[in-house]
Amino acid sequence: MNKRKTFFILVALALVLALGLTACGQKATPTPAPAKPAATEAPAATAAPAATEAPAAAETAAPTEAPAPANNKTIVIGTTDKVTDLDPANAYDFHTWEIFHNTMDTLLHYKPGTTDLEPALATSYDVSKDGKEYTFHLRKGLKFDDGTPFNAEAVKWSIDRVVKIQGDPNWLVTSFVDHVEVVDDYTVKFVLKKAVNYFPLLVATYPYAPISPKCYPADKIASDSTCGGIGPYKIAKWARDQEMDLVANPNWYGAPPKASNIIIKYFADATTMRLALENGEIDIALKSLNPTDYADLKQNPNLQVIEGPGAYIRYIVFNVKMKPFDDPKVRQAIAYAVDRQAIVDKVYQGTHEPLYTMVPIGMWSHKDTFPKRDLAKAKQLLQEAGYSADNPLKIDLWWTPTHYGDTESDMASVVKEALEETGMIKVNLQSAEWATYTDQFGSMGMFLLGWYPDYMDPDDYTYPFAASDASDDIGSNYSSPEMDALFAKEQAATDLRGADREKVFYEIQQLWAQDVPTIPLSQGKLLVVAQKNITGIVLDPVMANHYFLFDKK
Amino acid sequence: MRSLGRYLLIRTLLTIPMIFVLVTLVFLILRVMPGDPVKSSIRPGAPQEYIDEIRHTLGLDKPLYVQYGDYLWDLLHFDLGTTLSPVRGQSVAKQIWEHFPATLELALAGMFVTAVVGVGMGAYAAHHRRSVADYSLRLYAIIIYAIPVFWLGLMFQLIFGVWLRWFPIAGRISSLAMAPKHITGLYTLDSLLTGNWAAFKDSMMHLALPALTLGLYLSGVFVRLTRSNMLQILKMDFVTAARARGIPERTVVYRHALKNALIPIITMMGLQFALLLAGAVLTESTFSWPGLGRFLVERITYRDFPSIQGAVVVFALLVASVSLLVDVLYAWIDPRIRY
Repeated sequence: MNKRKTFFILVALALVLALGLTACGQKATPTPAPAKPAATEAPAATAAPAATEAPAAAETAAPTEAPAPANNKTIVIGTTDKVTDLDPANAYDFHTWEIFHNTMDTLLHYKPGTTDLEPALATSYDVSKDGKEYTFHLRKGLKFDDGTPFNAEAVKWSIDRVVKIQGDPNWLVTSFVDHVEVVDDYTVKFVLKKAVNYFPLLVATYPYAPISPKCYPADKIASDSTCGGIGPYKIAKWARDQEMDLVANPNWYGAPPKASNIIIKYFADATTMRLALENGEIDIALKSLNPTDYADLKQNPNLQVIEGPGAYIRYIVFNVKMKPFDDPKVRQAIAYAVDRQAIVDKVYQGTHEPLYTMVPIGMWSHKDTFPKRDLAKAKQLLQEAGYSADNPLKIDLWWTPTHYGDTESDMASVVKEALEETGMIKVNLQSAEWATYTDQFGSMGMFLLGWYPDYMDPDDYTYPFAASDASDDIGSNYSSPEMDALFAKEQAATDLRGADREKVFYEIQQLWAQDVPTIPLSQGKLLVVAQKNITGIVLDPVMANHYFLFDKK
Repeated sequence: MRSLGRYLLIRTLLTIPMIFVLVTLVFLILRVMPGDPVKSSIRPGAPQEYIDEIRHTLGLDKPLYVQYGDYLWDLLHFDLGTTLSPVRGQSVAKQIWEHFPATLELALAGMFVTAVVGVGMGAYAAHHRRSVADYSLRLYAIIIYAIPVFWLGLMFQLIFGVWLRWFPIAGRISSLAMAPKHITGLYTLDSLLTGNWAAFKDSMMHLALPALTLGLYLSGVFVRLTRSNMLQILKMDFVTAARARGIPERTVVYRHALKNALIPIITMMGLQFALLLAGAVLTESTFSWPGLGRFLVERITYRDFPSIQGAVVVFALLVASVSLLVDVLYAWIDPRIRY
């Protein structure tokens, strides 16, 4: 018996040793040079002036103390998303940006229901002739929750902080802004590194949100800070992953929110959230329920399902440097073989729409350029590439099980089925959990991915995948001098929504359908389910819910 | 019982190498596994230089033995480190401490249901051997254990929550504002201690369904265990003697016999309780109960090494303590056991 025991102990020790040695054998990642986030290409600024005056809203006189919320309504919201980091210098996910949208306003923001900017904490702005200087005129008489006055100093401090801290979204500032100048108490000037025509859209993102210098540390990330900024609501209580309580902000310059209190409940499970909605525990269910739930809940007479345009897209990415995807004919063949209708019907039960270009439907310059499904054409291209029924194209399709919801395995199966219908492709499905998946960008030949916008411009949906500068970070490695030239052109165009720039984007989308670095598949609709007595739910492609408009009858 | 002290000392000392082995294994496996805490917490498409810089700041590019040594050194100073992902820099110890009361509350309530239902039904089945009740209870025991616990939870939510509207189905309390003053962290206990009846009622209502789900799910094991132990005890001489002396049947079975049958059951319950303290992941997910199980699973998804390691250490300590307690209790109850 003793010999047996010794043997097992030796085996156990050997196992531990072996693991240790393999781990030690792993090369330590070399110490890198300091980070330089991918700078957006933009050639010498064009000369044409661009005095884009934000629509002249009557400048509000210094507001008297906003009346304490007369109503005492509480609306309970449920979501399966999570707050990652309540510091605008570090947060980079949709839900946290939605919280910011309701608790810290920016200098310009999108008008609810549209993708148009309107003045917010700044009442107007001027642009210099060379397009490199943006001067904002701030709203007067506002203060943060801790009493610190809102002025140009606070704005400069907030931006400098983002640059110093170098959190995840800092490239939205550091790639574009050279420095910020305080002109006077209520005038602040942003000096850019190069002229960027979509800079106002960037100012509406949350790294640009002014925050109180007294409430946030200047050089550290404050992940749990409930300080907020100046928004319609402020955070009263927060328990991570459990609940957030918002209360109307008396220092808000706009109309007071319809509901004085908002409680956000964080759910671990979409089915539980659905049941909570059905039994009245929550008033509104935001992202996200399962696609089958939306269909069921539409039949429920006590609930309303509200649909709106989303800006979330699903697509396939190719690593164009990896065989067999380095052959454009292979990529084009796959583009002809995918069945978008099957995806939309079987996987998403109608909560998505087929997408034939990377720029989402409803966005300015959207143009369908990818071909409709054509199996004959797909087969022909495959034959030209040297494949046949006897010599099929063998590929691995990668997908990730939890990051995109429970429907992802269906997604992968549907894509596989569609491709194999050609009779000349054999698809091997491979999955990896999200943490492993992102680690493998660059070593996966063909994989499924999704995209939420940073800023509402077609540049955000195209540049990261096809610009030589950025495509290796997402694992596509696509590089084309022609495409790069087109990007340079659109980024230099002086009129953000002008016909010239639009034409360039048409060309980008057309080249995309030819070279196929990615294949757009579908676009998600925004779906919100609520009790029948809730009003004021306004959905728009910006996809940040406007809690201050919600009302309960 | 003189040697009890020595026994306790040896058991306590043995936990140290146990934890050491556990931490080493977990540490190595986590780093050998594919997946990186930095990449899983930032958006896809972030530049590689940025990722590398963060890894350097966090010390993740140091050689493995250095990282291991640093971690062990910190552990000896009771420092569990700071989180890596999804948020960097939070104290691991604080996170675990904040999630623990929720798990403790659920474990205690679940164990209570298991004990009452499982043991009670097992004793009844043993007493009414070969009756219809006996067969049904044995069938129940198997079925309830075979049913996936999250399905059971979902059915309870549907029936008692949505259809009957008797209980709420998610969370620990209707709103944070209602939470009682923090004394132990268990909402039910704290609201009792502070006389906050509204909070007590609300937290009990929220505790009902998850405790029922977990408790009933585990009761299956105890039904059968109690039954078989009871059957043995009921055959013994002292039971016959008690019956002969005219003691009412109820008292013979549910007092004298059951008490003697309890000893192995208590051991089992102790171990089960220790496992529950590690967090009943599926139940916690189904009921959005913010406990340790959910916390650990989430951190594994994000590859948050320090949190995972810290949680494993805490679990190991909990299991070791509870099983030690049970053994001591065992010795105290059963005078035949000596150390």
